[in-house]
Amino acid sequence: MAIVANKISKAIGKPPVRILSDINLKINDGEFVALTGRSGSGKSTLLYILSSLDSPSEGCVEIGGHEIGKMTNEELYQFRNEKMGFVFQFHYLISELTTIENVLLPAVKTGRQSERKAYAESLLSQFGLGDKLHRLPRQLSGGEQQRLAIARALVMQPRYLFADEPTGSLDSANGDIVMNIIRDANKNFGTTVIMVTHDPDFAATANRAINLVDGRIVDAT
Amino acid sequence: MISLAIRYLLAKRRQTILMLLGIFFGAASYVTISGFMLGFRGYLVDQLVNNSPHIHIEAREEFLTDTSLNEAFYGDHYSHIFWTPPPSGRKDNAIVEKPQAWYARLRADPRVFAFSPQLSASVIFSNGKATAPTSLIGCDPLQQEKVTTIGSLVVEGKFSDIAAGGNRVVIGRELQKRLGVRVSQNTLVSLGRGLPSPFKVVGIFETGNKMTDNMAYGSLADVQKVNNSPNHVNEIAVRLFDHTQAAALATTWSAFGPEKVQSWDQINANIFDVFRIQDSIRFLSIGAIMIVAGFGIYNVLNMMVIQKRRDIAILRSMGYSTREIISLFFTQGFLLGVVGVTLGLSCGYGICLYLRTLPFKGNAMISDGHMIVSTAPEIYLQAGLLALATSCLASVLPARAAGKLTPIEIIRAGTE
Repeated sequence: MAIVANKISKAIGKPPVRILSDINLKINDGEFVALTGRSGSGKSTLLYILSSLDSPSEGCVEIGGHEIGKMTNEELYQFRNEKMGFVFQFHYLISELTTIENVLLPAVKTGRQSERKAYAESLLSQFGLGDKLHRLPRQLSGGEQQRLAIARALVMQPRYLFADEPTGSLDSANGDIVMNIIRDANKNFGTTVIMVTHDPDFAATANRAINLVDGRIVDAT
Repeated sequence: MISLAIRYLLAKRRQTILMLLGIFFGAASYVTISGFMLGFRGYLVDQLVNNSPHIHIEAREEFLTDTSLNEAFYGDHYSHIFWTPPPSGRKDNAIVEKPQAWYARLRADPRVFAFSPQLSASVIFSNGKATAPTSLIGCDPLQQEKVTTIGSLVVEGKFSDIAAGGNRVVIGRELQKRLGVRVSQNTLVSLGRGLPSPFKVVGIFETGNKMTDNMAYGSLADVQKVNNSPNHVNEIAVRLFDHTQAAALATTWSAFGPEKVQSWDQINANIFDVFRIQDSIRFLSIGAIMIVAGFGIYNVLNMMVIQKRRDIAILRSMGYSTREIISLFFTQGFLLGVVGVTLGLSCGYGICLYLRTLPFKGNAMISDGHMIVSTAPEIYLQAGLLALATSCLASVLPARAAGKLTPIEIIRAGTE
């Protein structure tokens, strides 16, 4: 059930600018992988290609034995909903919904919100938001908002968690809290985590760090 | 997605209210303007259908042409005849040529409810120094009452009183005012030549139409005698069981003789032309309101799609499909339409009910002294569908634009 990238390349614009070149990668189930590199090295692009949000110009990606390019739209939507969770640098919370409503949003798609509600509440309690279930995102601090975004990503108990610089907009204290949550998800639930980060300390806590330079993997430790 | 759509709308209350107002005003004004126009129209058509005969069989007025007198004067002896000056004018004998044949045909036709032969004569009524030129219509009062509602419009005396003969007339209210006569008084009737004949006023009728209220009715025999045209009739008024068949029957009957046969709607074709113009104005003005309302919704939803790009990105990353994103924004337009239509129709209905209570002094537009305003269900159905279609159409483009956004382009734009 691993994530496998076969000879992935990505070029955008006219004339085409190559962002990723010939990426071959395998991420095993339950692994915690950090994608590192300088700005413009292609790490976010690789993350989005691996997570099906973007498509490669060449090559293919397999997740859990399914080749993404060959999945129908409906299969892909269902796969994202049930098996994937996303955390972005910016929390992307829906400002009109309360904490608990934001967390349950993935479950709303399939009408499973009542089924997931107890789990959502336990996640929020675990993340220190148990007493703020009915607050709007603007009534939460930046760290709380990011924790809420992680709770939303984990509410469906996904097999894969994709995080794009989840601590990028947080101070170091909140950054540590968020990283602990992500590590716990990987450790306790066996969630495969692929995380883009600039921070070498956070990258060091991952099982494996993949360093990209100019769209190529130069180092995988 | 409906709950999220509602949340989006509630979060932008001022914009939502403005969008609602557009639809609301569109629906309310459609209902009110249509109610007013169609109420008046319904009354007018009702008057035409119920008060007047459905088909008029009239003596055809024939006008002379350059060749009309050729045969009468020269037979077929000459091939080219030139007149200086050429004949012109109207033939004088405007009568129904074979009335008995028409009577037999009408009696045998199961679609005919009743018919009434008439002779209209242009006469001068006089009472002392008061004179009034008008039309005196000779008819069989019992048949005439079946063909028109004249009997129920008699406010003094009875219409059937003229049946007894002996120079009796029922006159219109306006004519009565002009002559200054009362019921049971005598008035003189003349053709403009010869001696006048005395007629006794046995009734007064009032239709509310000044032109009609200037006319008078007498028995057919009396009018034929005054007009010096015994046994002549110049019109046969026909009432059908079903007034909607009138135009088709009139066209068919036109082939039976030289008479001019016209249905009530053919005679009043100019009124129906005015109705069509009214409809065009109504739809154009309401259309303008709806277009403004539609653009309001389009603009606000477009702005909302731009403002909610991040929401779209995160929803798409959670597995929400293109269709669900489209439905999120389309639902907002649809909800605005439903609420706007509901409020607009309710308010329009309230205005119509209120207008009905307003006193209105004007014969042609009143019923029991009040304005006639239609609350026909089809007006509400049309208004609802129009307003709903406007809001849905205005939402389609922004919703489709939202559906086309991919999460990656939003995320990239957000991080740039």
